[in-house]
Amino acid sequence: MSETSFSINDLLRRKLQTSLVIISLTLCVASTLFLLLFAQKIGFGISSVTEGKLTSGFAGIFSPFITLLTILIFVAGAVMISFTAFIMMSQKIKDIGLMKSAGCPNEMLFGYFFTQLLVVTFAGCLFGTIIGIVMDTASTSVLDNLGFQFVQQPFNLWIPIAIFGIFFALSLILGTAPIVSAAKAKPARTFSPAYYLGLSKEPGFNVVSKSGVTLKIAVRTVVRHKSATIRAVVCLSAVFFLITVAVAGGLIAGGTSKSWVEGAVGRNTLLIAHQDVVNQYKLLLSEFYEGGNSTQFNYTDDRYIIPPNMINQLHILNENMTIDARLVLEEPVKEIQGIIFGSSTAQTQYVGDSRQGQSLVIGVDPDSVLNNWSLAGTFLEENQRSEAVVGDSLAQRLFSVPLEQKIRISGQDFSVVGVCVDPLNNGNVTYVPLSTLENITGVLGPNVLMIKLDPSANMSDVLNRINATVRATNPDFEVYPLNNVLDKSLSFLDFIWSTIMFLPLLTLVAASLILVGYVMLTISEQRQELGVLRALGARPRTVFSIVSAQSLIVLLGSYAIGIAFGTITTLLILVQNPLVTTYTVIEIAGWLLLALIVTFASSIYPAVRFAKKPLLETMTQP
Amino acid sequence: MEETKAVVSASSLTKVYGKNDTKVEVLKDIYLDVKKGEFAVIGGPSGSGKTTLLNLIGGIDKPTSGRIIVFGEDLEAKNEDFLASFRCHKIGFVFQSYNLVSTLTVAENVAFPMEWAGRTENHVRERVGELMGLVGLQNRSEHFPFQLSGGEQQRVAFARALANDPPLLLIDEPTGNLDVKTSTRIIQILAALKGEGKTIIVATHDEHISALAHQKLHLEDGRLTSENE
Repeated sequence: MSETSFSINDLLRRKLQTSLVIISLTLCVASTLFLLLFAQKIGFGISSVTEGKLTSGFAGIFSPFITLLTILIFVAGAVMISFTAFIMMSQKIKDIGLMKSAGCPNEMLFGYFFTQLLVVTFAGCLFGTIIGIVMDTASTSVLDNLGFQFVQQPFNLWIPIAIFGIFFALSLILGTAPIVSAAKAKPARTFSPAYYLGLSKEPGFNVVSKSGVTLKIAVRTVVRHKSATIRAVVCLSAVFFLITVAVAGGLIAGGTSKSWVEGAVGRNTLLIAHQDVVNQYKLLLSEFYEGGNSTQFNYTDDRYIIPPNMINQLHILNENMTIDARLVLEEPVKEIQGIIFGSSTAQTQYVGDSRQGQSLVIGVDPDSVLNNWSLAGTFLEENQRSEAVVGDSLAQRLFSVPLEQKIRISGQDFSVVGVCVDPLNNGNVTYVPLSTLENITGVLGPNVLMIKLDPSANMSDVLNRINATVRATNPDFEVYPLNNVLDKSLSFLDFIWSTIMFLPLLTLVAASLILVGYVMLTISEQRQELGVLRALGARPRTVFSIVSAQSLIVLLGSYAIGIAFGTITTLLILVQNPLVTTYTVIEIAGWLLLALIVTFASSIYPAVRFAKKPLLETMTQP
Repeated sequence: MEETKAVVSASSLTKVYGKNDTKVEVLKDIYLDVKKGEFAVIGGPSGSGKTTLLNLIGGIDKPTSGRIIVFGEDLEAKNEDFLASFRCHKIGFVFQSYNLVSTLTVAENVAFPMEWAGRTENHVRERVGELMGLVGLQNRSEHFPFQLSGGEQQRVAFARALANDPPLLLIDEPTGNLDVKTSTRIIQILAALKGEGKTIIVATHDEHISALAHQKLHLEDGRLTSENE
């Protein structure tokens, strides 16, 4: 019999074992490919949706998040596929030993089993690639019908080709290892469970109660199948790592980015200015979620200066009210070349290219600023000093080492002490002390007032009184609640994050499918022994409990490892200065608990099916 | 032996495997009665259906037609939970290929039917020690099955079958793969069990075991005949 015909016939005769391995490989490849295609679409979709919008600080969260998830999806898929190939060939170690005992030469032996590996992995990877493409096409169509326009991206054929090639090669390499190892081992050794199961023994003989016997058998199997268990834990840890990064990263990054916007714009904050300035300010804020560039505007028009009696009247209205008076201008900002003493390098270095750009320059009184920006460095401390805080987009555009450089505005040099994430004018903004700005520009008086309302007060009542006071002073001035713009900005971020959160959801589905494949394989490995347990008095539900307990032990172990590494990665690498509230923690915990329940529930399905099989069928070899 | 009610009673029992071209009628119209305390031996060539008949008696498999009553219970009508509990308490199985659980030690293999039956820790410990002594494997209790010889594994299978002190033993080819010395040991154990008054059904070719039988049966081409007649 030729090597090929023997191998094919052997595979066909072991229908159950062969189909389980092909199904497992297919599920791994299909879900990985689908997730990669989907992640690419989300990444593309988000960059097309956010083009010309978002500040560099915000955009800086999305891209690394999707990139990291894409890498993790690939790694988790590769680990699972390698594991499946390894398990498949490990199950054949006894056969290899038998054939060696019967005198089959090593090279022929290798040929037989390598051909089997080749056929099965090729079939699994091919079916997986086809199903992955079908899943992607189907989901695209469904989401398109649901109104998610981001999925309109041309299909990239290179991704499926690359995935097929890489995973096929990985399966072959990892699957070959047990064949080579078994072919080198003495035949008698390959018959021993100590070799093919990696069996090890814990000391002592402990008798347990009836209720404990199920758990004891499950624990014993998990512990004694040490090598298989370790590999399973590594695989599932990779999957839970991916889910944790996706879920925790998504929720923390989503919450953090929204808090940045809320801190920068201000909740329950009123904008008071001349109606032209109000419209211009709204336009500047809307650039964050609608894009575009603001038109030329003459901020220095005398009509726009806030009348001093308006400020007095507002103070009389409520003595505890904090009024944040600002002078908003548009000025050229120039980076100053020079030699600095680098605090990180502890050496002098030459910085600056004399880059120049137009920026919104805002003079503020540091003592009455209402905003709470996400800030690198510090905010302005004293009104008289020549210090500046620049927006994130401006910092990226003009500076190499912003916090150690200087800028020049209207001939005055300012030391950059902070970089803030600010949606205003899409981060193209510079904050300087109000009095300094008034001195260098000659514009006397602020043109914008910000007032923070006490959320416990009757908002409409307070708003009406402030409005009346402002109109009474000058009818051309108006009061605009910034909550409207803030809500639009937050909705825009919500849309982006809800789109990204498809990834963890689908990752969870993929992980569940992968786990079903894994449990099917492990049941197939233990089916005869479980059948014997039933023949000697174990009820079907006891067998079900044993298999479920095994899954749960492996799952919980992997869960702990995956979540630990996932959380560290999320907090240390993915999101800097993360905002983690109690609600975020509860939300993440809820998601991760759901992930555990879904994966465990899906792992039960093969166990239920197995427990229902006729006893004699379970006792015979597949 | 006194006349008592049948422990095992089969009537018009048939078992068919496969369909159409691959259909094999393994058991044909079998009638069988084994009384309490009786030692019955089923002989016959390989593939004659001896193991299938033992599986039907033990509720591991279900007949295609006919009835099988064991300890007054119609096994065909019972669900899997009942059958599992029934096997655990009433039947001791010794399989032809031993079927020891490879991930359990010798002592654990003997202990687990008792653990399922809810026996106390002291009882399980004492019984494991007693059974290890009976089969002469006191010094191998911490070994795994793969560390034992075929004869030793067969003796562990006997010890496991006796763990819950079942009234009925179903034993499939107990000496088929063993040397003369080990076979003699197994036959001594069977003789001792017969002396204890257990109901025993053994599928075997071994003349020495047949010599112990109250009832000798022969299975060939799916039909069961009595050699006593």
